[in-house]
Amino acid sequence: MTTVLAHVHPGDTVYGQVGDASVPLRFGDLPDEYQVLRDRAALLDLSGHRLIEISGPAAVDFAQRLLARDVEYLTSERCMMSLVLDDSGQVVDQVLAFGRENGLLLESSVGAGDRLIEHLRANNDEGVEITDRSGDLTVLGLEGPYAWGVVGRLIDGELASLPFEAVADTVWNDVEIIFARTGFTGEYGYQMIVPIESAADLWQASLEHVTAAGQEALELAMLEVRQPIPRLETAGGANVIEIGANWLVDVTKDEFVGKEAVLAAFESGQGRRTVGFSGGDTVPEPGARVLAGGEDVGEVVLAVRSVGLGATLGLARVDAELAAAGLEFTVEGAGVTTLTSPYIVPKSWSIPII
Amino acid sequence: MTIDELRAKAAERQQTCTQIKKMIVSRLDLEIEPDWITDDQPLFGRGLELDSLDVLELYVAIEAEFGVALYDSEMAVFGSVSRLADEVNPQLKVTA
Repeated sequence: MTTVLAHVHPGDTVYGQVGDASVPLRFGDLPDEYQVLRDRAALLDLSGHRLIEISGPAAVDFAQRLLARDVEYLTSERCMMSLVLDDSGQVVDQVLAFGRENGLLLESSVGAGDRLIEHLRANNDEGVEITDRSGDLTVLGLEGPYAWGVVGRLIDGELASLPFEAVADTVWNDVEIIFARTGFTGEYGYQMIVPIESAADLWQASLEHVTAAGQEALELAMLEVRQPIPRLETAGGANVIEIGANWLVDVTKDEFVGKEAVLAAFESGQGRRTVGFSGGDTVPEPGARVLAGGEDVGEVVLAVRSVGLGATLGLARVDAELAAAGLEFTVEGAGVTTLTSPYIVPKSWSIPII
Repeated sequence: MTIDELRAKAAERQQTCTQIKKMIVSRLDLEIEPDWITDDQPLFGRGLELDSLDVLELYVAIEAEFGVALYDSEMAVFGSVSRLADEVNPQLKVTA
């Protein structure tokens, strides 16, 4: 699936295939795009996120059973991030669920739409309508410590101060859009769900106030605040407990697909745990061995060059008794130090919306 | 460091984190087991979804439990349980 905004992106945009979607990895220079996101505000092409409408009389019951968090009372003014699990407790996807009058709208993570739809349809015991809306709707994002100012100039200042995960149906340029306060990076974040035929106009209008950033800058900023990136973190069959995404699962809920498996994994205390690390002059590949005191205690899950830290930043999955910040490990012959999350403190935490 | 020394160091942090998690669950009357909260998960907005009233409650609880006053601290100290552990047990603090 190619981005619906390809015709308005610069000719030298670098695209990459992420799951079932071809997305802009960067429009120019990664460090510049990252810095825009962390220091000012970045415009994001989130068209690789699939929009799936769940409707019909049993829509809420269905979503309540399929999503790992409690969406029973999710009104049309709220959205919520949740994992979707299979029976074995493996992560199918991390979704944003929007309450809608006739059911829910689910937004997949990037490139995971096909997998999510297939899972939803295979588990449709309630006979709900599952409609892929990505043919007529798409998503644009704004993230950064001053993203709220862009919202004010672009649409309406009052929308900027919506509470986290609040949703408003609003109008931009005579076009009805769904506007939400969200965020993946710890910075102020907003999403605009817009009809595809108006997406290019909204993108261009946004660019009058803000600079575009690609998927690489977004995922780097996500990693820095330990926002899960399931497609990268669940490789090798790691479960919810091992990736540390417990907060995207509500175990107080009576029932949901995967609950028993997740609880069993939690109560067993078995398996490894994930911890951030920094150090070394190179960026190790996933699977690189992690040594502690000369013993093999785990492996690298993912690693990148962090613009914010000016160093290699990664996640390692290690024996649970060693999953703690402040330890010296060795990866590919280089010393690394395990870290306390967040690895970069978002500037938005010290900047009020005015 | 030997692996036993690393294990001991990790255990000290995990012990402080466990103490903080128990305090959060007890003071905020949460319906989850303390260990369900991970050391790295965000506490405000995303994650545990605490709000500003919860922060006030935690300020008081932390001072009572650990004898540390965080009233003038930046929000970053609540970035995660592990970050909070650095504040209430300064021996743990990481320089990265």
